[in-house]
Amino acid sequence: MASGPRSLWNGTLTFGLVNVPVKVFTAQQSESIHFHQVHLADEARIEHRKVCPKEDKEVPSDEIVKGYELSDGGIVVLAKEEIAAAAGENAKLIDVETFVPDEQIDPIYYDKTYYLGAGEDGEPAFRLLRKALEQTGRVAIGRWVFHDRERLVAVKPLDGVLAMHVMHFHDEVVSPGDLDLPSPQKNPTDRELQMAGKLVKSLQAKFEPHRYKDTYREAVLAVIERKRSGEQIEAPEPEPAEEPEDLMKALEASLG
Amino acid sequence: MARALWTGSLSFGLVNVPVQLVSAVRDLDLHFRQIHAKDDTPVETRRVCSKEGKEVPYEEIGNEYDGVVVTDEELSAADPAKTRTIDIESFVKLEEIDPIYYDHPYYLVPAGETDGTVRAYRLLAGVMEQSGRVALGRFVLRTKEYLVAIRVREKALTLSTLRFADEVRDTKGIPGAGGRTKPSEVKEAVKLIEALSGDWDPTAYEDEYRKRLQAIVRRKRKGGEIKQPETDPERTQPVPDLMKALEESLALHG
Repeated sequence: MASGPRSLWNGTLTFGLVNVPVKVFTAQQSESIHFHQVHLADEARIEHRKVCPKEDKEVPSDEIVKGYELSDGGIVVLAKEEIAAAAGENAKLIDVETFVPDEQIDPIYYDKTYYLGAGEDGEPAFRLLRKALEQTGRVAIGRWVFHDRERLVAVKPLDGVLAMHVMHFHDEVVSPGDLDLPSPQKNPTDRELQMAGKLVKSLQAKFEPHRYKDTYREAVLAVIERKRSGEQIEAPEPEPAEEPEDLMKALEASLG
Repeated sequence: MARALWTGSLSFGLVNVPVQLVSAVRDLDLHFRQIHAKDDTPVETRRVCSKEGKEVPYEEIGNEYDGVVVTDEELSAADPAKTRTIDIESFVKLEEIDPIYYDHPYYLVPAGETDGTVRAYRLLAGVMEQSGRVALGRFVLRTKEYLVAIRVREKALTLSTLRFADEVRDTKGIPGAGGRTKPSEVKEAVKLIEALSGDWDPTAYEDEYRKRLQAIVRRKRKGGEIKQPETDPERTQPVPDLMKALEESLALHG
């Protein structure tokens, strides 16, 4: 078989009476440095062991079950199949309920993204959906059960395939009112706002994702190399965040 | 209020705003614990030294990479400026950021309630609301650098971590890319999408899975039996005739 990306999930996306066989693929990958945890005293690897506190012994994985802890400390043990029953009839479905204009979705809802590709015998229906979405400029909103959780998803065309954006449910999103933001004694003056507006204008740019590189990765590798050569690494003293004394002065100085 | 995940400074030109980072989402999922089946006891995960076989306290753990061990403190020397400051580099249009870049949403709140801090925060929120633009910056959270997009939502600054371009995979090899479509089918599919269209209303969607799972826990607690729901085979089979399925859907929803 041709080696291509491997799918994480196979199922069907449905809208109206149209079933589209689809496969889900990862769209994101982490490029950061992966460390192993070690014991500083002897540099031996740290192992994460599952221990029963009652017996004070390591527990083999075949003796572990999933349980839900009740508020009174009682435990309700559920078998894998019983948890899976919560998926309802939709275990193998991405059930599209509606289509909405793309720009109405506040980015605060977005979580992870996956790619959708055509599943077996699904190419004609997949292409049709993608084409129709492109023409209408709408995104498909549906539900998807994955890893014992239901997720709200937004599906839209991207780069010849479909991107599936996982979204948070509305009750998971904290509303600004819950933050209890303090009010200043005196609001910023018009003059300050005007100056700040000039500063924003001077920094306007187009978003070009490829211009940004993770430079921290190199900085971490440099620390590792210094340590390897036996250098002493001084951790910097934390400085308290400086409070602005005179906003107007700082704005004027910024505009130079 | 939510726990601060990071405290530092948001810098806009020479204006510094002391801020704290809090998550913009709360976890409402039902969490299961791992249970030792024999004695119904929740299992603990212990960090154990593989050489000594003894539990190791968190302060005695280091990070090993390529044969070199560094402590968390030493790592904080990597880029102290980015570890403490989110430096606003530019202001871009919201629609230029494809949602594939979004990672996790947070709020930035003033760190402390002194008037200088609160006014500077207000000023930045106010001017961003006026400009309608998104501020781009970067910072280091825990041990990873993020590109971030900062916006205003009802006077509160939101911060979304973004993926770097090299963290977004190529679509190469994803099946179903490109290819032809039949114009007559596309026309019907567009009609169906329009018939099923509405405005985005996030409150219209509740997490039904969470509710079903809660019901399952309750039933099981009372000793009830949990039945497997059947999947409707008609909804998971590929449709042999797309045009017919579209027409029937339109008759139903059009």
